[in-house]
Amino acid sequence: MSTAFDRNGSWSLDAADLRAWIGGLVGSGARVVAPAEREGLWTFRPLRSGEELALPAGFPAWSPKEFLFPRTETLFRYESSGGEPGLEDPVREDVPQVLFGLAPCDAAGLVRLDAVLGADPAYASRRALTTVVTLACDAARPECFCTTVGGSPHGEEGGDLLLVPSDGAFLLRPLTRKGTELAAGASASWAPATAEAWERARARLREVAEAVGRSPLAHGFAEGLERRFGSRAWQQVGRRCLGCSICTYVCPSCSCFDIQDEGSPGCGRRCRIWDSCTFGLFTLHASGHNPRPNQAARYRQRVLHKFSSYPLEHGGVPMCVGCGRCVRLCPAGLDVRETVERVLAEGKEPRHAGP
Amino acid sequence: MNGTLLEIGPPAAREERSGFEPVVVAIVCNWCTYAGADMAGTTRRAYPPNVRLLRVPCTGRVSPLQVLKAFEQGADGVLVSGCHPGDCHYVHGNLVARRRLAILRALLDFVGLDARRFHVSWVSASEGVRWARVVETVTRAVREAGPLDAWSPRDGEEPVRLPEPPPAPSPPASPEEQEAVGRNLRSLAASLLGEGRVTVFLGYGEATLPGRAVPLLATDLAEASALVWNDRCHSNLAVYLAGPNRVPGKVAVVLKACDARAVIGLQQEGQLRREDLVLVGVRCPGVREEDGRLALKCHACDGEVAAGCDFTVSADGVETGAARSAAPRAVAPDPRDAAIAFLEGLPPARRWAFWREQFDRCLRCYACRAVCPLCYCGTCISEHHRPQWIPASIGPRGNASWNAIRAYHLAGRCAGCDECTRACPARLRLDLLNRRLALEVERRFGYRAGEDPSAAPPLAAFRPEDPQEFVHA
Repeated sequence: MSTAFDRNGSWSLDAADLRAWIGGLVGSGARVVAPAEREGLWTFRPLRSGEELALPAGFPAWSPKEFLFPRTETLFRYESSGGEPGLEDPVREDVPQVLFGLAPCDAAGLVRLDAVLGADPAYASRRALTTVVTLACDAARPECFCTTVGGSPHGEEGGDLLLVPSDGAFLLRPLTRKGTELAAGASASWAPATAEAWERARARLREVAEAVGRSPLAHGFAEGLERRFGSRAWQQVGRRCLGCSICTYVCPSCSCFDIQDEGSPGCGRRCRIWDSCTFGLFTLHASGHNPRPNQAARYRQRVLHKFSSYPLEHGGVPMCVGCGRCVRLCPAGLDVRETVERVLAEGKEPRHAGP
Repeated sequence: MNGTLLEIGPPAAREERSGFEPVVVAIVCNWCTYAGADMAGTTRRAYPPNVRLLRVPCTGRVSPLQVLKAFEQGADGVLVSGCHPGDCHYVHGNLVARRRLAILRALLDFVGLDARRFHVSWVSASEGVRWARVVETVTRAVREAGPLDAWSPRDGEEPVRLPEPPPAPSPPASPEEQEAVGRNLRSLAASLLGEGRVTVFLGYGEATLPGRAVPLLATDLAEASALVWNDRCHSNLAVYLAGPNRVPGKVAVVLKACDARAVIGLQQEGQLRREDLVLVGVRCPGVREEDGRLALKCHACDGEVAAGCDFTVSADGVETGAARSAAPRAVAPDPRDAAIAFLEGLPPARRWAFWREQFDRCLRCYACRAVCPLCYCGTCISEHHRPQWIPASIGPRGNASWNAIRAYHLAGRCAGCDECTRACPARLRLDLLNRRLALEVERRFGYRAGEDPSAAPPLAAFRPEDPQEFVHA
């Protein structure tokens, strides 16, 4: 099927159109992942039918990264019964995948993941088969701060199609060729969106962006944070950190992993497992030395990776996408927005002081 | 045994191969049961070939990790067997084991693993006949229970829904009352810090998100002026008193009734120096969830300040020592107990359906451990890798083992503050696991955690007359 990619074309859909479209995609064998609720907890889950699509949906407790970067991934299996060890690649169940209804921050998070994991074959093959449908936000949560880190509640980064709430229905606009192709099978029956509908929707999106109410990071923030590596503020803020990994595991852009062998000498597997810089074990050397000896040092590492070392290597773009999950879920009430502001407000101190 | 159970393959695959033949791992003591099994052999006494023996020096050495590992690697049943009470080669290893195995059995039963899969017996070196009979009984029971059910939730499985908790037995405290408590805390903190009696005052401050309070470590008067008190002061600040998150120096700490139980537990286990602490008890109106509902742990608690506190802070002022109020808060039955009773009324398979769906969500972020004052170990069992008792991989088996072993390690120790449940991003009902084992410890050993700093921890102790109705006759 050849589909012209028309960035200016767009459609107007209601919930029934969306469900029929999703139903068609599920029927075609694609895995469609969307926010779903269970016992009051919203998470991304594969849908079994278009009817399961929740509209409106809650904001999922953790990001959809596990559908590209699974919590645990087998790299190979091994078997050895005395002679030559046998190695076996895992069976990859890579099917076309649609990540549906991602907030713009989560879609942008996938682009951050690409920067780190894009060269990995397993990640890359899943990524190539994945189409992202971004759903613009129609409200701001108190922990939102996408506008601080260069995003917006209707941001297009990482999305293949942009869905915009509009007077109880939706406007849909392809952002990439992949997006156009995803809509191709169903778009014939959709009404074209009118310029007036877009005008009203844009007005509403501007209101949401204002409701986020956060100004962008000041120029030179990454360098500024690096210069304050030794600031006492890190200790003052970070000593509250209890050393769980909620912030990193729910994060759309955290991508650290551990490699473990599981099984016995006779048979088993090597797997890649989510890991977190907030764990003491993360940097513990075999000698017993730990270059990040306390929780404040580990907390500083996470903040600096997001707001200093990554942007310094990636043209000033923060790794953080401002979804605010870590702010909402931190059991010690640490707020990365406050931490960055507080450290930047400190005077410069020598690099080798601090935690 | 041919290699590991992993190599034997999952039960379902074995069933397809040859009809269901249960695999039973028998963990037996060297001095009695192993010799008894040997006796069965030398006297040519036949018994089912389904058991794989694992010999240990004493049942007192049996760790719940071994039992969990057996199930995780595909065993359908586990039998632990040792010397009769009074006959232990090490005098009373089996009596300590009896307490621990009773608790482990309650846990396995509660998660729906089916009590028919876990057995305990006493078999002496001369009882070859008895050994054969026990193995027959156990194998029959495990065969009836069938192959171990799948570890992952089944697609389209009807979820188990817990009953709605009842309304709160007491109204929220008024904002004026909460502010008065906050004011009194600030003035106490100012005097303790000002007089140099403490270097840190651990309390609560305003969060950056509305309607929340967060831990505040005040080291000077300016920081102490930001202390607040309200019904969102959830954190158990005892977590900052011991273990990796210990705040150094002389510390005053604000404690709700549940938090104080954790401090007593830490004291009991030698984890803190009482003379370095000033315990500031707050008469607690109960903490509330974001939607305004009273936390489940608070329904049955009157919020009175625990004995042993140095100060009692209420809306009326600051009193020295633990003072009771004239009119304690109204209490009601613990709604966690109703949820536990509901789950126990279900068949084991449905209980397992409930828990495996919960465990499947677990991200292994270890927030439950991080916020728990009693989880103070420098190296957690989940971090041990020789052997790797708890699979590090985030998946159904490792998640089940992790949550089971944490509940077990807290049995008889858990203060019931439910911080693990509040912190869990996947909202696992860890409160029910902990509460179920607390009830078991109380019923069996007449012990409640967090009441007496001089009491012996119940799972490190025993009584000769401890009930053993679960041991094979």
